[in-house]
Amino acid sequence: MPETWWQLGAAGLPSGQPWVQWQWVHRHPAIIYHALREHVVLTGLAVGIGLAIALPLGVLAWRWRRLETPVLGFTGAIYTVPSLALFALLIPVTGLSRTTSEIGLVGYTLLILVRNILTGLEGVPAEVRDAAAGMGFSPLRQLIRVELPIALPAIVAGVRIATVTTIGLVTVTALIGQGGLGQLINDGLVNDFRTKVVVGTVLSVALAAVIDAALVGAERLATPWDRARAREG
Amino acid sequence: MALLAVAMMAGACGSSSSKSKASGTVASQLVMGGPPECATRSTCLAGLEQIYGLHFKDFKPLDAGGPLTKTALKNGDIQVARLFTSDEAISIDNFVVLNDDKHFQLAGNIVPVIRTAKATSDVKSVLNKVSKALTTADLMNLNKSLDIDKQEPVDVAAKYVKDKGLAGSATGGSKGSITIGSANFSENEMLADVYADALKGAGYSVSVKAKLGSREVVEPALESGQIDLVPEYAGNYLSFLDTTVGALALDQTVSKLQALAATKGLTVLDASPASDADAIAVAKATADKYHLSKISDLGKSA
Amino acid sequence: MVHFLSQLAGWFTNGDHWQGSGGVPHRVIEHLSMSGAAMLAALVLALPVSLVLGHTGRGGFLAINISNIGRAVPSFAILVLGEQVLGIGAKPAFVALVALAVPPIVTNTYTAIRQVDPDLRDAARGMGMTGGQILRRVEWPVAVPLIFAGIRTAGVQVVATATLAAVIAWGGLGRYIIDGIAQRDHIQVFAGALLVVVLSALTEVGLGTLQRAVTPAGLRKARLRPAAAEHREIVVVAA
Repeated sequence: MPETWWQLGAAGLPSGQPWVQWQWVHRHPAIIYHALREHVVLTGLAVGIGLAIALPLGVLAWRWRRLETPVLGFTGAIYTVPSLALFALLIPVTGLSRTTSEIGLVGYTLLILVRNILTGLEGVPAEVRDAAAGMGFSPLRQLIRVELPIALPAIVAGVRIATVTTIGLVTVTALIGQGGLGQLINDGLVNDFRTKVVVGTVLSVALAAVIDAALVGAERLATPWDRARAREG
Repeated sequence: MALLAVAMMAGACGSSSSKSKASGTVASQLVMGGPPECATRSTCLAGLEQIYGLHFKDFKPLDAGGPLTKTALKNGDIQVARLFTSDEAISIDNFVVLNDDKHFQLAGNIVPVIRTAKATSDVKSVLNKVSKALTTADLMNLNKSLDIDKQEPVDVAAKYVKDKGLAGSATGGSKGSITIGSANFSENEMLADVYADALKGAGYSVSVKAKLGSREVVEPALESGQIDLVPEYAGNYLSFLDTTVGALALDQTVSKLQALAATKGLTVLDASPASDADAIAVAKATADKYHLSKISDLGKSA
Repeated sequence: MVHFLSQLAGWFTNGDHWQGSGGVPHRVIEHLSMSGAAMLAALVLALPVSLVLGHTGRGGFLAINISNIGRAVPSFAILVLGEQVLGIGAKPAFVALVALAVPPIVTNTYTAIRQVDPDLRDAARGMGMTGGQILRRVEWPVAVPLIFAGIRTAGVQVVATATLAAVIAWGGLGRYIIDGIAQRDHIQVFAGALLVVVLSALTEVGLGTLQRAVTPAGLRKARLRPAAAEHREIVVVAA
């Protein structure tokens, strides 16, 4: 009977480990904190840089319709590549480094952000744009004072999705030496230590939930007119 | 579970590679497991093929003598495993380490390798003091704390350094800074922390870049200056730098290594009595079944 | 750069890389059959239940939010958790992939059935159809495009995450990437990544074509958005 991958591991790894050894958690808050911090930094950098690239890209694609398909096509193509493969394509160029991780992570945010920026801008009513033009706003002023603020809810929705997605993807960067909470999960795998896997997973989910809620709150603060309209309506 | 069978059948295609010319030997009926880099290393699968003429039924990339490999060996998912001689599981789980009768493994004594630019005589004496104190029995005990008790390498190292009195009490790191790197297995991480604590106690400022990867990743980092110091294993490191080198006594291994390393701006320090070499191991049941005591027994007809 | 490309070409033209259990054909078949098996299992588990839930309107909260929850758990974590429970190799990979495929199928199927015009349902009831007949002959045909959007999302996700499953000592195309990193063989890493890109693109295109084929002409849009890879976005890719 030929050896097959299926037969490997049929009996499983030694169990009998508790899902969480609280003793370890109490003794090593520094390790947990360090992983969490790296995770937040990697995520923040990726979404921040992604937004900085996506905003001009989105605005350009909105101004010149002809650009929309190539821009969405390009960012969409990146998005379809599985994360490990995308990092792997970069390794010969930028090595096993934070740069490799960030280039990949930023790439993945682009489609979500550009798409939502486009949706948001396309949702600006024509009358509003006409009114602004009629008041003598230059196109740039119009963009900054009128169009982008109106598009803000859609953009924030995009940032939310991009952030939660990135938090998940950061764990994969553990395989190229970074990882944040993914490093905890990977250590748990490599050293057969269940506690680290659980802590890494739970914190990833918690981080995503907290940041998502924070972004919803930030959006509400930034768009008081939406609240006013909701109160009236 | 029919769907799982589908996935399984896909896995069943081509169970042996084109290299399996020596059928009928014990090895051709066994599956070997080890770290992914084992496939290309002259001290591992590649060496077993070239020096012993062994061709296994299949090779499974698992991990560097870690829980995946050991569990697979225990479960019979693999029959031959590349482990480490200092692994406590060998005695606990009753594995049989096959004797390296053709000496394709070199001495596994621990040697710190440091960039020559950082190798002041003070640094060297601190490091050599640590190396001298380490014994293979120590390594086995330390590995037990890491693998079975799940302690962190940094804690295991700190305790060892304290118990053996290997570190002074200096703080402040005024004498200079050193970056230590380690490979992706816990024993090496722990050794890096041991050397780090000793250097810190001697007044140096030390940063540790742990778990960089296999030697294939760590070595270039050392050569390029991303890290200054790595706890290495004399024989494996020499084989890595020069794949043609054959079996040598320890002192010859070290002097050859020193000469080679010097060409790369690296200094190899004194070898420790503690040794950790690659071990080709089988489960006791396999050893009994095929009457295996040395590696070349794997080349006998089954 | 030229040197790199010629080495890469050399990897692909090396006969050894096309034979045996480590060869490209074997790994591709392994990857695809595992993905296919996981998708089938997920469909068997999720589709009937979601159809019924959508038809009766029950369990909506769970059906809609299962994708949100699922999306928040990193695929890497699901694989390793599977390994902790089931060991290494194909079994935990299979279970993890099924777990990843189920949420998009559930959410999309439930939403698709729920979104069927209530007038249609009323008309059917008025004609005397039983619940089962309504589901089969009215709701299902209308819902099919959106259901297939969910299947497409799930399928692309599964193929992508199967790449990652190499870390729990499974095979597939991710093996070249993981082994290449360990052996510091950048050619192997890149070659593996290229193979993954091609397979993912083919999967995306294949499932996209399938989705378009089952979408009535009037509902098709010029450009269907690319489904998430393992990024696991929220699902309702518009028909």
